[in-house]
Amino acid sequence: MFSKWLPPVLLVVVAVLQVGLAQTVDLTAWKGGGFGMFSTLDHGAYRGVDIVVEAADRSESLAIPPSLETAAARAAACPTEGLLRALAEGVAGREQRYQRAVSRVIVTAWRTDFDRRTLQASERPLRTFIYDVP
Amino acid sequence: MHALRLREALTWTGRPRTDVVSANPTATASARSSQISVSDAYSYVDVALRLTAIALLLRPMGPWFVRPAILAAAVVVLIVPRALRHPLVWGGVSLLIAIRIADDWPLADNHIYLLCYWSLAIALALRTSHAPRTLAFTSRWLVGFAFACAVLWKALLSPDFLDGRFFRVTLLTDPRFDAVAQLVGGLSQAQLDGNREALVPLPNGAELRDPSVVHEPVRLRALASISTFGILALETIVALSMMAPTTRIFEMLRHATLLSFCGITYAFAPVAGFGWLLLVMGLTQLAPRQVWLGRAYIAMFLAVLFYGEVHWAELALDLVR
Repeated sequence: MFSKWLPPVLLVVVAVLQVGLAQTVDLTAWKGGGFGMFSTLDHGAYRGVDIVVEAADRSESLAIPPSLETAAARAAACPTEGLLRALAEGVAGREQRYQRAVSRVIVTAWRTDFDRRTLQASERPLRTFIYDVP
Repeated sequence: MHALRLREALTWTGRPRTDVVSANPTATASARSSQISVSDAYSYVDVALRLTAIALLLRPMGPWFVRPAILAAAVVVLIVPRALRHPLVWGGVSLLIAIRIADDWPLADNHIYLLCYWSLAIALALRTSHAPRTLAFTSRWLVGFAFACAVLWKALLSPDFLDGRFFRVTLLTDPRFDAVAQLVGGLSQAQLDGNREALVPLPNGAELRDPSVVHEPVRLRALASISTFGILALETIVALSMMAPTTRIFEMLRHATLLSFCGITYAFAPVAGFGWLLLVMGLTQLAPRQVWLGRAYIAMFLAVLFYGEVHWAELALDLVR
């Protein structure tokens, strides 16, 4: 019994958790083991994160550096505070390594909505995280 | 059939047939016949396990600390007969895949999860006295539940699938569907480029004074509608037939719809790894007498391989230009 049912039960448990995370913290349907791929346009190609770095004499938007692409993809796919914070810390650390002033990092995760009739696309913010650099 | 299963349960030793014979030199003719039945019962399971190993080799996965071990396990499984049916090897593979999923959560694709469950299912089944039957049962429910989840997302949870937006936008913007959008949908390359420009998202709340119009020929809208409801119907039938009690009709329906799903979907969707896994799981559900179905599954495994390597839609598009 155990040998037969453990893998299918695991699948169902993970899928239920995935649906819960999708409903509560905006995990994309495509990820997380819930088998929601090819069911919605809300996936990596239509999600992203914007990063703004601030300091005393500085406020600028940054492109995602290659070293932080994975952290950014994780934050976009599931914009929880933990994953957004990890990205913000990575950005702050990188700025400090390059000796650039940074006192605050603002990370905003967004998704794209498409109009039902015209398909016109627009960005919609999902969550914003403000990280004050210690 | 029942007698065959009983013999399998009674005579399975967890070792390849040659080992069984050499360990029992005084076997009677009847016992030898039973051992042949065991070998037959394992024929599709062995093929399925080898194809799983091949799939692992064809699509290497994970970070440096799991990838070499997964590849090594796949090689060992293919060349060492004892490893093929060793629960520890498959249990190890399952654990390594779980580590790969956790390492960059939530970025792993769904078929990586399914591969993890499948490897675990193999490991657990190989510890039982009736591995082929256990594996057939588990694979049926894994496929059934996976498809049920896919149907749940498409039909109930997703806000943009049933109204056709998913396939309309995907056909217009995803470069992997360029050739199909032109070949079947009737779009020109210039229209595709124009559509992509028109579908660039605007910042929240912004509106263009003179927005570009998206070109959607009737054929493209029809393709999007057929894809939307065709996939949903096929996935629903696969899910229901896998979870229904085993009768001859449901059994045939399972294999027919799973093979059709793989034949259609993976001609377009660039996820060969998922297709291979579903086919391997379908293969383990076959009885030894179902020779033609076995061949169909193996042929489809190869077809999915070719779908991934040969850009057939682009070649067809070049031909009609």
